[in-house]
Amino acid sequence: MFTIFLLCSTIPEISAVGYPINVWPKPTTFLWTRPQAILLSPNFTFSHPNHPYLTAAVNRYLRQVLTEHHDPLVKPRLNLTSALPLSSLIITITDVTSPLTHGVNESYTLTIPSSGSSNATLSAHTVWGALRGLETFSQLVYSKPSIVASGLYISDVPLFMHRGVVLDTSRNYYPVEDLLRLIKAMSMNKLNVFHWHITDSHSFPLVLPLEPELAGKGAYGEEMKYTAEDVKQVVEFGMEYGVRIVPEIDMPAHTGSWAEAYPEIVTCANMFWWPAEVKWADRFASEPGTGQLNPLNPKTYEVVKNVINDVATMFPDSFYHAGADEILPNCWKVDPLIQTFLSKNGTLSQILEMFVNSTLPHITSLNRTVVYWEDVLLDSSIKVSPSVLPPENVILHTWNNGPNNIKKVVESGYRVIVSSSDFYYLDCGHGGFLGNDSQYDQPPGTDPGNGGSWCEPFKTWQTIYNYDITYGLNETESKLVLGGEVALWSEQADSTVMDPRIWPRASAMAEALWSGNRDETGKNRYAEATDRLNEWRYRMVTRGIGAEPIQPLWCVKNPGMCNTVHPFVS
Amino acid sequence: MDYRNPSVSFFSILTIIFILCSIVIIPQISAVEYPINVWPKPTTFLWPNPIAILLAGNFTISAPNHRYLTPAVNRYLRQVLTEHHLPLVNPPLNLTSASQLNTLTVIVADVTSPLTHGVNESYTITIPYSGSTNAILTAETVWGAMRGLETFSQLVYSNPSRVASGLYISDVPLFVHRGIMLDTSRNYYGVNDLLRLIKAMSMNKLNVFHWHITDSHSFPIVLPSEPELAGKGAYGESMRYTVADVKNVVEFGMEYGVRVVPEIDMPAHTGSWAEAYPEIVTCANMFWWPAESQWPDRLASEPGTGQLNPLHPKTYQVVKNVVHDVATMFRDELYHAGADEVVPNCWKTDPSIQTFLSKNGTLSQILEIFVNTTLPYILSLNRTVVYWEDVLLDANIQVSPSILPPENVILQTWNNGPNNTKKIVDSGYRVIVSSSDYYYLDCGHGDFIGNNSKYNQPPGSPQDDGGSWCGPFKTWQTIYNYDITYGLNEAESKLVLGGEVALWSEQADSTVMDPRIWPRASAMGEALWSGNRDEMGNSRYAEATDRLNEWRYRMVTRGIYAEPIQPLWCVKNPGMCNTVH
Repeated sequence: MFTIFLLCSTIPEISAVGYPINVWPKPTTFLWTRPQAILLSPNFTFSHPNHPYLTAAVNRYLRQVLTEHHDPLVKPRLNLTSALPLSSLIITITDVTSPLTHGVNESYTLTIPSSGSSNATLSAHTVWGALRGLETFSQLVYSKPSIVASGLYISDVPLFMHRGVVLDTSRNYYPVEDLLRLIKAMSMNKLNVFHWHITDSHSFPLVLPLEPELAGKGAYGEEMKYTAEDVKQVVEFGMEYGVRIVPEIDMPAHTGSWAEAYPEIVTCANMFWWPAEVKWADRFASEPGTGQLNPLNPKTYEVVKNVINDVATMFPDSFYHAGADEILPNCWKVDPLIQTFLSKNGTLSQILEMFVNSTLPHITSLNRTVVYWEDVLLDSSIKVSPSVLPPENVILHTWNNGPNNIKKVVESGYRVIVSSSDFYYLDCGHGGFLGNDSQYDQPPGTDPGNGGSWCEPFKTWQTIYNYDITYGLNETESKLVLGGEVALWSEQADSTVMDPRIWPRASAMAEALWSGNRDETGKNRYAEATDRLNEWRYRMVTRGIGAEPIQPLWCVKNPGMCNTVHPFVS
Repeated sequence: MDYRNPSVSFFSILTIIFILCSIVIIPQISAVEYPINVWPKPTTFLWPNPIAILLAGNFTISAPNHRYLTPAVNRYLRQVLTEHHLPLVNPPLNLTSASQLNTLTVIVADVTSPLTHGVNESYTITIPYSGSTNAILTAETVWGAMRGLETFSQLVYSNPSRVASGLYISDVPLFVHRGIMLDTSRNYYGVNDLLRLIKAMSMNKLNVFHWHITDSHSFPIVLPSEPELAGKGAYGESMRYTVADVKNVVEFGMEYGVRVVPEIDMPAHTGSWAEAYPEIVTCANMFWWPAESQWPDRLASEPGTGQLNPLHPKTYQVVKNVVHDVATMFRDELYHAGADEVVPNCWKTDPSIQTFLSKNGTLSQILEIFVNTTLPYILSLNRTVVYWEDVLLDANIQVSPSILPPENVILQTWNNGPNNTKKIVDSGYRVIVSSSDYYYLDCGHGDFIGNNSKYNQPPGSPQDDGGSWCGPFKTWQTIYNYDITYGLNEAESKLVLGGEVALWSEQADSTVMDPRIWPRASAMGEALWSGNRDEMGNSRYAEATDRLNEWRYRMVTRGIYAEPIQPLWCVKNPGMCNTVH
């Protein structure tokens, strides 16, 4: 009845812009004709179906709404009505059995009545949608004693089903507690995929039961490993927060760390990455840290199979990220077997095809969809034929050339996950990390250029927010775009900077992929998002996430005064 | 404790002689290859035969009693006994079977020297091969002794604690002024952050915390004579620095050998004063760059407008109270009075100024009135005044050098790199260097304007510098390699007191303070202490990389969230992350 009243209300829909309290990411539909608030009863409860993960989440949110007592930077101009306090939120779920998988229904509706004389209701198709709705509810609660926005109706559903963060834990190590905090923050932002780039040439921190030597010799140290229990904790924690964990074991390139245990299966391991006498095209790796698995050595497949079996056992998600980026010709060419193969008119691309043909079927046999970096198909020198990559089992992950490569990937019939480095790489703009780089030792007055980061400049939250990941695609093509992931490569990142490097910039992507970056009239809404993001960033900080500030606090307190009225001229 | 105990001196002299003699025979090993290092690298570090000895479980530091040295000694004693630092690369150092080291004896020539600009910070350390003699730290002042204690602490590692032995260090900074500027107006920092900053500065032998306390955005300092300035101008009740807070910061600084130089920026950057005194601030709370005006006609260079009105008598009542209170709360002889970025149109909005100008007065004359009315008062409180270079070098509004006596005024440069440094010293002024192309820690992080369409260009558009006016990001190497006396002759160089890296806080606060500042401020710390070149005169940034990796890691274990500069792999594979192109 209440919902019908709201929907039939003759007052035109107020843009959420002007709402005194907001939810990040902004819900698809947010009807709040007469913004007001009511008290949350001290014995407020959630009623909900029993479910191991939902129950854990409900307990968490109950504690939060009763104890967070958030004090917004700008006091919400909301009248507290004298209506009865809200004593209950009833959660209704159509199908409590749906597992947390790619494409699971995350929609929900939330109704909060004007008076606590009736219950608030949250309805969702799945427990995962209910988790999203609980987060929304928690963001509508504030103050001490707890007050909740009332007389509102929210109907919410994400634009893109894959909304993630890539974290590289190989170049520098992150303790488990950082990963848990990352998942927690992702859930606050309705992000649903933690893409864990676990291994690379630099270290192999994952302890695998069948191949313990890989971490035993390839991890940075005893205390810089992820044990099976650690992984179980991360995966279970993810389930309680509605965040899938997609593991990536990058191969056949980016595997120098495997050589500590198995030197025989890795070509060019521990060689200097770019020798003095060679051109860039002939480098062994694109950055320090060399090594590629040798597809012509049978032993390689023994190890790889064990790795895949273990990883698939430890990570239940239906996606398995198998890497396949940045294979360099010269790293393979140092190997005698490969030299012989090439001398008989074989090609490096054929060698990669052998590798893919010997590993992809095994991964798919474990009921996994395989994600590869786009290079496997689009690399200019070493790539496979699309015929060995069945589009129904393979998803490509783009990182080069912005919309151009997205278009190439979807035109080849593949689903795509977008991490275009010009927009979604969180490490850019921080300088190079080479040890003896003379570019920073030029005489004063020399043009500092781009600061030496290959993907310069720094990607601001607005750059990320405004990126349209279906740019230039028609409707059919757009359907192949599953979503996106911001990426933190860790050459110059670890625990000390994880939170501020990721947040609130990942929040910007989260909203763009959840409800878009445009308002009802189709105009970019980055300007109005600024004030909302200031508030949201502040709330994340009070919730224990060290998100960086985007403006002086003065700007929040003086709305509009930190804008510009001069059009940007490039 | 009698620190003049002749037997102690006798043994220490013997040890020094022994170490010096071994140098004659064994060629000096470059500190590059030393298995354990000190940051910033000491001027002279002789360690002919690197070994280590255990620190005795009842190790003590004997030192003269002193209000600030004693707490420092207690702190370092606790640290060397409990830090148990494990370096990333295990030092290939033999632990000798010699007696454990029982005592470090600290000898201070003059325990009365106060912590002032130019105080002698030199020290020597001798650590014998065997604990049968004491280690000796000698310094002219207690502040030099603190530098030496920091050095000693960095030579201790492992569990149980051991210390590098058989070495002699003689150390003295190249520049007397080595600082960090933090802006606490645009965003607020808790007092704990300031204390942690001072602690980390001391680890890096930096000696000046330049506290840019106020600006147009907020006025967080509570002044007894003008409580309304913070009462109305602070961001909130919980975002203020009380008198007790300031005392805490200043005293903490003394215990760490870090001077605290306050800056109350004026006459520009004073919008926040208008909350309490609207009548003394021109153009306050106006939109910073109106649609109808060109850039030269903006009211401020960024959002947040407001300049004190030099023609309003009330201005000086307030300013005098502010200066008086600040000089009372901060004991340092340097007082930073700002004077940057005075923008013409902000003053021109005021009727009294309009009248003045209509009678052929100039804006520069108005600034001179302000300086002439405030500078003598600050000087009367026995202060040396630091101004931003703009007061002399601004293109539109500047004062005549004649009203800025060089013996009482120091200029701080931030524009045009070495060019402005040279202009200032050529005018006869001492200079503190914060060239934005090198020393601004906030650059390269994009712009903070709220509705900026520059980030909403079609894919394929050039992204340029990312919209930061001083982009790109200043890497630690950029900072390390900057020669702040570039292009100056010897006499001119003597006027360069030192430098300060600066963190302006439009996009910084507690959440990012540590990684934005460290280890980049460490890079300046070494360049200004012992230089950025090796014995041959070559830039030493390459060998500094490995040392800085270790030092950054040690700062992290000491509770300072310095950001990583490389993958850990690079530390474990020396040279492999270099380039030969």
